[in-house]
Amino acid sequence: MDRDDAERPGWVRLPGDDDDTSHQRDAGPWRGAASPRAGGIRRLRRTSNWTAAALIAGMAAATGYFAHHTQPAAPAVSTVTGAAPGVGSTAGPGKPHLSGPVATSTGSGVVVTTGPGGVKTYHYRDN
Amino acid sequence: MAAARYLAMQRTWRLIDAGARTVGVAERAALGTSARVAAWPAHQLARVLAVVDTELALLDQQASRFRPDSEISAVCRGADGAQGGGSRIVSEGLAEAIAVALAAARWTGGLVDPTVANALCSLGYDRDFAAIRGDGAVPRGPAHVPGWQSVRLDGRRLRLAAGTGLDLGATAKGLGADRAAREAAAAVPAGGILVSLGGDIAVAGEAPVGGWPVLVADEPEPVGQPPAPGGRPAQFQPRSRGQVVRLAAGALATSSILCRQWRRGGRTLHHIVDPRTGLPAAGPWRTVSVAAANCAEANAASTAAIIAGDQAPAWLAAQGLPARLVARDGNVWLVGGWPAIDEGLLDPPSTCRMPAGPGPVPGAAALAVPAAVDRSSPPGLARRSAGRTPPGPRRSPGARRWR
Repeated sequence: MDRDDAERPGWVRLPGDDDDTSHQRDAGPWRGAASPRAGGIRRLRRTSNWTAAALIAGMAAATGYFAHHTQPAAPAVSTVTGAAPGVGSTAGPGKPHLSGPVATSTGSGVVVTTGPGGVKTYHYRDN
Repeated sequence: MAAARYLAMQRTWRLIDAGARTVGVAERAALGTSARVAAWPAHQLARVLAVVDTELALLDQQASRFRPDSEISAVCRGADGAQGGGSRIVSEGLAEAIAVALAAARWTGGLVDPTVANALCSLGYDRDFAAIRGDGAVPRGPAHVPGWQSVRLDGRRLRLAAGTGLDLGATAKGLGADRAAREAAAAVPAGGILVSLGGDIAVAGEAPVGGWPVLVADEPEPVGQPPAPGGRPAQFQPRSRGQVVRLAAGALATSSILCRQWRRGGRTLHHIVDPRTGLPAAGPWRTVSVAAANCAEANAASTAAIIAGDQAPAWLAAQGLPARLVARDGNVWLVGGWPAIDEGLLDPPSTCRMPAGPGPVPGAAALAVPAAVDRSSPPGLARRSAGRTPPGPRRSPGARRWR
């Protein structure tokens, strides 16, 4: 903010370190009490800014931590044999996230299965 | 461990590693192809499999033309034997399956026609695919296709013109996937279901985060000989790479001329018959995948696209159906908002495009253009004019080449 802003109609300059005497002169009848009150406001404003910044940073860190480390409250019973641990995960209350295809849409008769290590096997299933 | 107990009891399903513990996946042979079911939470898999078993058994009993004791076989035998055709009351399930087939015929201007059964039989596909002999004599010629107008369905009363055979292959698997997914979702309190019948996929309930990941593949090519019935599965290698898409709602179906091939008189035939010629479709597409509100519609659209040839991209785009078309040269064309990236979300229309009842269908006439094959030519596959090079796909509004 330029120093000239204080001269614009409708603008009120808040007290700060760079206050000059002309600004204090404009304080009018409040001139005698302006200095300690302005200093208090300035300290309070700085404290509020730092508090807000700390809260934002803390919330962001906590959100990131919980997003990556939260375990399902009640893990579902595994009924899939040979499920690769860590490949899939859950997001939200039990809604799964699948990282690989569970089915193949192709012409009738061929099924693609994905085995350990991502090896795909094509089975002819006309039986 | 309910699913494991159910599987041990049934001895049909086998568990598949889905890579996520909260999702149960199982697979078994069914309807001349394979059925795959995925369900979450995984502990509901047993219940879901039981429902799917029931639906598959019903559909097989109603609509399989390879089972002499099926309802549709009995209906067609009646039409064969009766002078002037047959009339009978059919079950609600078969009536629904025939109604869907007739709706598909109307919607596609007759390109998907349930009366191609005799044509398929004349080409050699007269039994379960696994039982077709490796080669055979040259067919005498394309069989007459009576046309879907020769089938009358009034509620559960079915009337067939004399000599009319029914093959519901272009819609029945899709309908079966729809039925199974819907009934399974109704049988469990929460979660999501995916049912795939030979690659025709329907989902119901709540999808996993980001949708069900599905690999859309062009037909793999055999490395060795196809397996003997009952033998060990053969290994195949993909001819072209596929694409993983995510399906959160609706359905996805794929039709391909590269599967269900057999040989007659030294020629390779496939199972998608053009009802205008009575011969295997000879268009520019080898594989078409379509997403739609339900699987029967997706199945009908993908089959129609194979037969329609050059007109297919514009028709699919006009219907607002996301589609992926693989040309005979291996190039992939995307229309109707099909995602161009791997893991892209498929967004099929939430409402059906295929009209349920009779009446004029916008766009159907434009799709059913005259066939490329001259039927006046002497009969016999060796003399058909379809041996010419199929025309390359034309760029149509909304279509884009992918790779």
